[in-house]
Amino acid sequence: MRALLVEDDALLGDGIRAGLRLADFAVDWVRDGDAASRALLDHAYDICVLDLGLPRRDGLTLLRELRARGSTLPVLVLTARDTRENIIAGLDAGADDYLTKPFDLGELQARLRALVRRAGGVAGPTLEHAGVVLEPASRRVTAQGVPITLSAREYALLLDLLGHKNHIRTRAQLEESLYAWGEEAESNTVEVYVHRLRKKLGSDFIRTLRGVGYQLGDAG
Amino acid sequence: MAGPLFEPRVRSLRKRLLMSVSIGTLVLWAAAAALSYGQAQHEVQELMDAQMAQSAALLLTLATKAPASLDGLATHMASLQGASDGSNELTLEFQVRHADGGVVARSPLAPTALAGGGLGFADFDDGDDPWRGLMLATSDGAYRIQVAQSIRLRDQEALEIAAKTVLPLGLFIPLLLALIYYAVRRALKPLDDLAAEVSARSSENLHPLTSTQVPREAQPLVDELNRLLLRLGTTLDNERRFTADAAHELRTPLAAVRVQAQVALASRGELEHQHALCQVIAGTDRATRLVEQLLRLARLDPLARLPSGESLDIAELARAAVNEIGGVGPDARKPVHLAIEAEPPSLFGSHDLLAMALRNLIDNARRYTPPESAITVFVRLEDGAPVIGVMDDGPGVPNEELPKLVERFYRGRETSVEGSGLGLAIVQRIAQLHDARLEIRNLEGGGLVALLRWSQTPLGGKS
Repeated sequence: MRALLVEDDALLGDGIRAGLRLADFAVDWVRDGDAASRALLDHAYDICVLDLGLPRRDGLTLLRELRARGSTLPVLVLTARDTRENIIAGLDAGADDYLTKPFDLGELQARLRALVRRAGGVAGPTLEHAGVVLEPASRRVTAQGVPITLSAREYALLLDLLGHKNHIRTRAQLEESLYAWGEEAESNTVEVYVHRLRKKLGSDFIRTLRGVGYQLGDAG
Repeated sequence: MAGPLFEPRVRSLRKRLLMSVSIGTLVLWAAAAALSYGQAQHEVQELMDAQMAQSAALLLTLATKAPASLDGLATHMASLQGASDGSNELTLEFQVRHADGGVVARSPLAPTALAGGGLGFADFDDGDDPWRGLMLATSDGAYRIQVAQSIRLRDQEALEIAAKTVLPLGLFIPLLLALIYYAVRRALKPLDDLAAEVSARSSENLHPLTSTQVPREAQPLVDELNRLLLRLGTTLDNERRFTADAAHELRTPLAAVRVQAQVALASRGELEHQHALCQVIAGTDRATRLVEQLLRLARLDPLARLPSGESLDIAELARAAVNEIGGVGPDARKPVHLAIEAEPPSLFGSHDLLAMALRNLIDNARRYTPPESAITVFVRLEDGAPVIGVMDDGPGVPNEELPKLVERFYRGRETSVEGSGLGLAIVQRIAQLHDARLEIRNLEGGGLVALLRWSQTPLGGKS
């Protein structure tokens, strides 16, 4: 899952980025409204954490522009503006959730998981396919009831595929999802992780559509 | 509304007015009554004396012209006296005597004693009874005539007559007092209304008093009160905004500290753990700095003038500031130059506050300029006015943003530099306390200058 973090405060941004990484997000962090606008145009994100008081371009403006383009990207507004009017304005401008500072990191992570889940069309707390169950809150994965240990990247890849059930994911999309800026993938890393997941979950679990990308295999 | 602990003895205006007017009225009335009474008594005495004189003259004529009829007169008088009811009617008693003292005729109740002394009016006693008498004598000296009247009865009569004139006036006293009470109440009603309007207010309501019927005497009070309310309102608004802003500003560092602490708790790698803990400390430092700045402003804000001061040399101040800050700090790469272009006369001011202002200006110049920028602290005289300031050769600030720089918590649109956003607000406050002005403007050819300019040529050091 790739997240865009828009926060102008160095200390807070650094903390949130670390917190999101702990929740297996690949995090791009920008510190002003213009940079956020460019990042949103250039990359496909699964979620965005948006501060409102930003240099150069206000967060609400950014949000309206994003929605005007028809983007359905889940956006959580994270701000010190905590009046009811502010919250209403934020939600009406297109925010999916609203959290005021100071906040609890666990709550932020949980809200982001819920937003990602909803965006994938899933309401329940677990993702499931062909006997493989992933519980994002606890990061636990089981196959036919047996706990499976996954590395952070393997987990992130599985999460992405389960979150895009019935969709074909291109290698570029998967790379975007797995890696933030500054941690560019080797040319064959996606293949490496797909291979490892197949070894742990069964070779039919992920289908390769040659020259296109990957998809979850047929259930059962 | 007043606390029960301390109730000052404030006398009611209305009570005082009522008391003084009522007592004054009563005293005046009593004086007037006493005067009328005395007057009436005097009149009555005069009237009775006149009556006595007339009767005596009549008797004298009778004694002179027809002495023989005197005998019959006494008998007739006795029968007359017996016919009257004998009550204390104001009667005249008389007696006629021969020159040798023998009684010729006498009314039955006439005093046996004669007034001593000669002819004319005289008061005398007959036994225990005081009398007023008039003694006359015929021209040949054959008869002496005395007409007398009981002084007790005379006084009683005088009292009755005087009372009849004075007492009815007393009936109007309750009416008069009621009238006074009503008039005083009515005259003071606008004050009561005003008091009611003020006491009915909640402490939140600082709108001006709008009572329409304020008496002219109370208008200055109401005007002053309204001015005070206005000032209070402004101060309160500022305080509220400042508190809200301060709370808002503290949120971000607090949020950062919390998140970093949580990251430290949850992080799996030693490096991440260490980093997060260092960030917790950095966040705490930042919050501390912010609180210090807030306190500094909060202390400076309510001052009307400098709490203390001394005669000081701003060139020396600039030198000290550059020495102190020049080679240290996180931006030691940005050198701070010193340009003393003139040695201004000494000024009256607070050394500590001006040094703080200068430090803030230097700090700002360092924070908001790119690396390798040159910063200069200068002192000069412009049209005789001392000027001390800091300039840099950085990118400057968009002109439309310049006025906002001194606003509290404003950090500039273009930057994400960390600062409290209070530095220039503090400098401006210090400038105000020194009768100086903070000017910030872009330099032609790039760079920003921020300076303190004293409004007039100082009168030399006051020490």
